[in-house]
Formats: sequence, structure tokens, C-alpha cells
Amino acid sequence: MNDEIVLKNGRVFDPMNGINGEIKDICISNGKIVEKVSGSAKEIDLKGSTVMPGGVDMHTHILGSKVNMARMMCPETNRHSPYLATKNTRGGVGGITPNSYVTGYLYSIMGYTTVVEPALPPEKALSSWEEIEDIPGLDIGLLPLFGNSMITFRYIKEGDVNGLAAYIAWILKSVGGLGVKVVNPGGTYAWAYGGNIRELDTPVPQWDITPRQIMHGLAEAVELLGLPHQMHLHPNNLGKVGNVETTIAQLEALKSVKGHKKGRSVVHLTHMAFDCLGMVEDGKPEWKYLASAGEEFAKYFNKNKHFTTDLGQITFGPVMTMTGDGPFQFSLYQLTGGKAKWANLPVEVELPGGAGIVPFNFVPTSPAHSLQWATPLEFALNVDDIWRCVMTTDHPNGGPFMKYPLVIAWLMSKKLRGEWIEKAHKLVQERSHLSEIEREYTLEEIAITTRAAPAKILGIERTKGHLGIGADADITVYGFDSEKLNLAANPEKIIKHFSQAKYTFKGGVQVAKKGVVGKHLHARVFSIHPRLDDGLSIRSEKEIADMIGKWYCHSYENYTVPARYREHLEIPTEIDSTSISA
Amino acid sequence: MSETRKTIENVPCTFCGCLCDDLIIEIEDGQIVKNTNGCAISKEKLLGCNENRLLQPLINGSPVSLDDAIQHVAEIIASSRRLLIYGLSSTENDAHREAYKIAELVRGVVDNTSSVCHGPTILGVQSSGEPNAMLAEVRNRSDLIIYWGSNPAAAHPRHIPRYIKKEGEYIKDPKEDREIWLVDIRRTTTARMVNKFIQINPASDLEVLLTLRALVRGHVLDVDEVGGLKIDQLKEMAEHMKSAKYGTLFFGLGLTQSRGSHRNIDAAIRLIQDLSAHTKWTMMPMRGHYNVAGANKTSTWMTGYPYAVDYARGYPRYQPGEYTAVDILANGEADALLNIASDPVAHFPIDAVEHIKKIPVINIDPKINMTSKLAEVNIPSAIAGIECDGAATRMDGLPIYLKKVIDPPEGILPDREILRMIYNSLMKVLKK
Repeated sequence: MNDEIVLKNGRVFDPMNGINGEIKDICISNGKIVEKVSGSAKEIDLKGSTVMPGGVDMHTHILGSKVNMARMMCPETNRHSPYLATKNTRGGVGGITPNSYVTGYLYSIMGYTTVVEPALPPEKALSSWEEIEDIPGLDIGLLPLFGNSMITFRYIKEGDVNGLAAYIAWILKSVGGLGVKVVNPGGTYAWAYGGNIRELDTPVPQWDITPRQIMHGLAEAVELLGLPHQMHLHPNNLGKVGNVETTIAQLEALKSVKGHKKGRSVVHLTHMAFDCLGMVEDGKPEWKYLASAGEEFAKYFNKNKHFTTDLGQITFGPVMTMTGDGPFQFSLYQLTGGKAKWANLPVEVELPGGAGIVPFNFVPTSPAHSLQWATPLEFALNVDDIWRCVMTTDHPNGGPFMKYPLVIAWLMSKKLRGEWIEKAHKLVQERSHLSEIEREYTLEEIAITTRAAPAKILGIERTKGHLGIGADADITVYGFDSEKLNLAANPEKIIKHFSQAKYTFKGGVQVAKKGVVGKHLHARVFSIHPRLDDGLSIRSEKEIADMIGKWYCHSYENYTVPARYREHLEIPTEIDSTSISA
Repeated sequence: MSETRKTIENVPCTFCGCLCDDLIIEIEDGQIVKNTNGCAISKEKLLGCNENRLLQPLINGSPVSLDDAIQHVAEIIASSRRLLIYGLSSTENDAHREAYKIAELVRGVVDNTSSVCHGPTILGVQSSGEPNAMLAEVRNRSDLIIYWGSNPAAAHPRHIPRYIKKEGEYIKDPKEDREIWLVDIRRTTTARMVNKFIQINPASDLEVLLTLRALVRGHVLDVDEVGGLKIDQLKEMAEHMKSAKYGTLFFGLGLTQSRGSHRNIDAAIRLIQDLSAHTKWTMMPMRGHYNVAGANKTSTWMTGYPYAVDYARGYPRYQPGEYTAVDILANGEADALLNIASDPVAHFPIDAVEHIKKIPVINIDPKINMTSKLAEVNIPSAIAGIECDGAATRMDGLPIYLKKVIDPPEGILPDREILRMIYNSLMKVLKK
């Protein structure tokens, strides 16, 4: 077969299979990694190169109305980043929020092959599928939002976890979702009347239920269904000085949730950089009292295995903040003295207060920004178990994904950290431990935090995040020899190589080579379709139809994303959730 | 009932930005015979979908085959140096994708009709942001609604009855629990449907908005009257707006296309943002064409920019005022026009139309319109949402899947297929 390839003599980092820098050949056939190929297979000699599974980004905002609002509201962020069309690829812009085509290309160039959009308003899913049509070179997962939906609230209020599970199952099937996202549970709903909820047990207006109940109920429903990815949580009280305390309280409240698999975490705490702000002793929750809580949170993380996390690393420079946490975004807008642009996008019934978007700039001269930068690094360099800790920037919140190479370099090089600590505000040295940390991530650890760990946490580790037999042939080849190049001492080389893979293979097809994308490959979408007990299914569909009829102003019949937008892209995995009774 | 009679429910109406999706359409012998739930305009559009149709491609007024027409179009485009592609707002999203692809291939300019309607709204958003609204949220929660420079009774007939005067989850009695104001320069038919009509002087919107903003911020103003309103009345308005639980501002072309233009929108946005520090306020442009919001959206994800996009350098650039259709025509820059699902000759200023007369025009539209009369090539297309499916975006951003309820006349294809054929033909011509 002529689509067979053998990658020879590369130094392979494949932590899921315990391979740590061994010279090894990798055989590809039919888009998969196989044991051996025929003699006619194309041979590529990778002597002196480093080989890893394709990158997996488990939290990146690359599509949907909030990204389009950001692009539309801030054309200035893309103006100076043209991306030329070629014979094989489309043109566009590559600023903080690249257009869809260029989003895919820039990921391919860096060696990323799988990404997850973690904030899908379910009723707007049709648009997302249309956009995915134009995001090349990636396998994509979508996480619909559940934490402020009136339908969720109704089931929580009635204590009907089975009904809630059936609602989740219906949404995942109707819109093609991979898992459950929860943002500021109850708090964004309160924003529908200009409020917020910062504490676990504050009741949600009009509903008399609390964030604790919402979160707990949703996590239970996820485990009842047996979804491969645990509840993906953006906690209450985001971006508030000292919120490491409320975040730990929220995680504590989820300890009693029973996982459907032994030893599996029940919650993924996302973008910890924004959730784990510390406070100096006797301080108040104001910016001048900010301190890094990275080490403190790492201690909690090391002791408590029921959750996983990703960094949401802040990088300096212009960013686009966008979250389903409307009240937080408004407070950020107010923090700029009302000078910034501020957009708010409510989603009827499903996110009543709405998501917010504020362009922002993290500058090293600011003490608060510098400490926010130090926090996730201090955390990541203190964790015992990198399999539960994923490198992200919460693109484009902490920084655009194009800055991953810089983040990788910070993790790998104390020298580079030292240079940046010098550039940052001096409070970093007083209120964080970053400058004292000797640890430098190894290449294996980088392969874990950017590939193997996110694939495992997302529950897609059968085919993603590794290079074993049967895995998708998503492979990144970096053009350096780790035996010859001392990366930690040459951080600029880390940035160079991780910015531009020597080759990126997606499903066995070479999509990029040294910064040039040569193939425009259609995206694919991974989704989970839970199969329910018939009785539960019938009851649930009737209830959902009634609620849509009553609360929305478009019809139940027009809710589901039609097959014609999905069938050529979607790879659904059916799971058996029939044990949940009606 | 005859055997060929059938009923299709939950059909979205493809006229205005409300995209009401509750029409019940009855079909007999392949023709629409009844439209239940639709407004007067919707009924006219669906029941009259066969009126004024063009049934065959034309080159210079003479009937030709589709293949010949496409070939001729490809030649016109290939020999042009600065093609303008325009329209898009009254067709579905897949057609947009093909239009951008052609623009990129020949390094042309692509613009949609928002440049002559809510383009200034987008400019306002680009200076300040926008706290948006969504229709079911308004229905469920909003206790104070303001229409400003908009006449929904005529342009969006079901906006008030379907979203505003209907009960919502937390507005049980809309008559009692919800107040509706109308701000306009003349007493329109909408004035009869609201609780309070506030008449302001023509061209004074900016002053009135800025005054309200100052009053909301607690400034004392040393004037008696602004825009024809007594300062006490304005104070009362500001106080009332601050004490609403959930306010919504719907604004129309009376605000975007009158004196002040995008500055009016910027002032309105800043007013709503300031009010947000006191209570909940949201806003929404009253989008006209059923998929003009979709045209902005598709343009944004595919090119990076919402309208006025130029591919002359091989990548998209954005410059309203320069790459907007009216400007590029009035400046005499475009040397060919590919018009899809709009009627620029009927709506553009005279100097833009004068230039259209001088250049080859390719017009793709289901019906005969003013632009057809000037077009060198006319290609009829199927009506999206009636004769072919697709996706469109409601004025508040909700995507809705459009249904095909009847077949198009024989030999008539959807816009997207015509554009694909043009692209393929163009590839061949360009290779030569």
C-alpha cells in the first residue's frame, strides 16, 4: 500500500508506552500506527530528530460566537499578522484570534493534532459545526456548557440526577459533544440580574439551589453516564485575589462524588492560573495583596488525587479574555476603568447572564500580572504527578496558543525563568517562590503534559497521546537531537524547535514541514453518544421538549444539529449508560 | 385532501432577522398554498415565491444554457483585475463560503450588505464592545424594552408579538410586568404598540444618548432641553432605566444611518455599559435581512473580518470606507461585480450605481430585480429556506437550519452550487 510510511531512527518520547528517548522505528499504515509495514513503504530517516505523539490541547477557545465576537470587535489584533494563501492552503490572519483556516495551520506547524473547544453553548452548536468545516488539520472535541442552564437547574432542584444525566446524554447526542463543561455554576445565572456567586452555598436567584448542589449533581451525572472525560470545571470566584481558598473548598465539595472507574479523577479544574490566586498574610481580597499560591496549591494537588488540572499559563503581551463567566469579565472591564472594550453574550436559557469578552494586556511591569504569571509556573514545578497536570494557556485568555513553545521553555529552563523574573516586577521575588525552584521539566515530562496526560484526562487515550500499535498516526517530529543539544541551557532553541516541527503527521498524512503547511486536511470531531434505557429516554425527551417549548423561542424540532453538517466529520463513540433507571 | 397535499411544521421564515421558525407550510402539487403563523411579509414571500422569477440564465438579456453562462462568468472574472463580490445577506451560509473562496482565488474584494445597514454598529462595537441580548432571555426577563430608530411593526412584524408581548418565565403578565418605549423622530406604526412614545428631533440621537449617559453617571447638566426633550423628562428616563431589573435596547437603522452614524452606536453602547454598573442592561441591533448576521459571522470566521474584506495581497485586509461596496464602486475601483442575493442598483447611492453601469455585472438571484436589468449575466438561483436548505443566523446570533420545503423550478440550482461551478470553471480558465 502506498500510504505506508516508516519513520526510522528517530529518538522517541512516548510516555504512555514507557518509551523515554529510545531510538525506534514507527510504522504507519492507513492512518494508524502498526507493527510493521511492507517493503514498499516510504521511508523517512529521522536520525538526529526527536519524535513525540501529536500535541493534544485540552482547553482552547478556537470557535463559536465568543471567538467571532472577539475577531469582529478587535480587527486590530489581526491586522499585522497576515497569512498568505498558497496553492494548497487558504489565507487569513494569525493574530491572537486567527481565522478558522489559520487556526488549524498554526496548530499543525507546532505539531498539535488534537484540540478541545471547552465552551460550546449547546443551542448554538450548528454554527460550531459550520466553523469546524473550515478548521483544517485537527481532531476536535466540543464541551457543551451545563452549569447555568435552567434545564440543569430544574433537575438539580428536583434532586433528579437520573433526569439530569439523560439531559446531558440528549445534548451530547444532539450537538455532538465530548463531555460536560461547567463555568461559574450559578454565578453566571446570577449575572442575568447583574449579580455573581462567589461562595459554594450562596443560593442562585429564583432557584434556591447552590453552586455546591449544581456542581455535585453534574459531576454525579457525568459519572453515572460513565463519560470518558470527567466534569470540566471553571470554578466560582474566578480572578479574585485569595480565591485559592474558595477553589480548594469547591474541590473538597466534590470529593464525595464516586468515580465510575477506580482511581479516576472526578473533576478537571481548568486554567488554575485564574483559580488559584493567593493573598499575603492578613491581606484583603484586593490586587495589592496578591501573592502566588502556586506552591500552596501544588501541596493540595499532591495530596488529593480526585482532580486533574491545566495551567492556563499567563504569558506577557496582548491577550483576548473570553469566558462563560460574564460577571468576571465585567469586573475585568471595570478594572480597566471602563477603558477597555467589553462585550457580553448571553445564551438564552443555557447561559442567561452570558459570556464576556475583554481584550487585555499582561505587562511585566505590573506586580499583579507578574504574580499571575509566576503562579502557574510555581505550581507546575512543584507537582509530583504530571499525569494530572496539563500545559495550556487557556487560549486566548492567558496568551495565544502560539506561545506554547515559550511556556514549554519556561518549564524546561531555569535559565530562561531567571531572565524573565528579571524582566518581571520585583514582587515576584518577594511573593512567589519561583526564583528558588531548581526543577526543570524533562522532555519526557513535556511529552506527558502536552500529549499523554491530556489524552488520558479526556478519555481518548486509546487512539491519542501515544505512539503504540493502534494509535492514530498523529506524530510530531522535532528537528533536534536531545542527546546532543542541552535544551535547558539553550532555551531559545526550545522555543525555535517547538514553534516549528520538522514534520507533523496527522492520521498518517504529512500536514506540515518546517513551518509550511502543505495539506489542507478536513477536521474530524470526536463525540460521545450515551445509550440510555428506553424508559428514561422517553421521559427525558418529553420533559426537554416541554422545557424548550416553554423557555426558548425556537422549536425543539430545530434544536439538533442536522446530519448534513456532521456526518462527514463526526466520529461518535457510543457508550452504554442503560443502567440508569427512568 | 388531495394526495399531493402535505404539511411541514416548524419551518423557519427567511425574510427578516427574526427568523421565526414556527411556520406551518402547506404544500399542494409542489406549490406552497398556505403559511400559518407567518406575518404578512412572510406570507407574501412564501406564497409569492414564484412571482417575478427568472427561469433561465441570460447573457445580455438573451437566454443561454447554465454552462454557457458559467463559462462567460469565469471569463469576466478572469479578465477583471479588481472584482467586487457583494450581497450574501439573503442567502444561506454555504453560499458565503464559496463566495469567499472565489474572492481569495482572484484576489478580489468581498463585502456584504451590512456595509449599508448595521456596518456602523460593527464600527461602534470595534470602539467599545457590546453587551448583547438574546431573544428568549428578553422574553423571559426583560421588564423595560426600548426600541430606538426602529419600526418593527413594519420591518419585523412579529418581533413585538412573538418576543415582547408574550409571557416569559419571569414576566408572567407582559402587560403589567414589562414596559415598552419607542424613541424615534416620527410617530411610526410601532408607536401604537408601546407604552411610551418619545419623539426626538431629527439628527439629535447622539446628543440625547450622551445626555442620558451623563445623567446615568449622575452629572448635573446646565441645559433645559436636548433633542426636543425637556431635561426633566430625560432625568426621569435615566432614573427609570437605572431602576429596571433587566433592560433591553433594540436599535435600528434610524440610529446607524442617521447623522452621527457609528458615533450614535458607540454612545448607545457606552450608555448600556454604564447602566450595567447599576442593573442589567443588554442591547441588540434589529438586523434586517434574515441572514445578514450570518454574513458577518461567516466572513469573520473565514476571513477574520466581518465585512469589507480585500484579498488583493493574497491575504484578507479589512477597511470599511475603502473596501466597502459603495466606496469601491463610487471610487471607480471595481472593474467587475459579482452580486449574490441582493439588489445594489435599487439601494446604492447614484455615484455607485453610475459605476455599476460601466462594468460587467454578474447577478445571481432567484428573482428579477433592478440589478438584473443592468447585469451582463443573470443566473437564477433557488430560494434558500424554501427551495434549498442551509443555515442562517438570527439577529441575536442563534443559528437556525433552514428547510427545503419545495423543489426549485427545473434546472435552477442553489447559490452555493452556482458559485462552486463558477469557481471550478475559473480554475480552468486561469490555468490556460
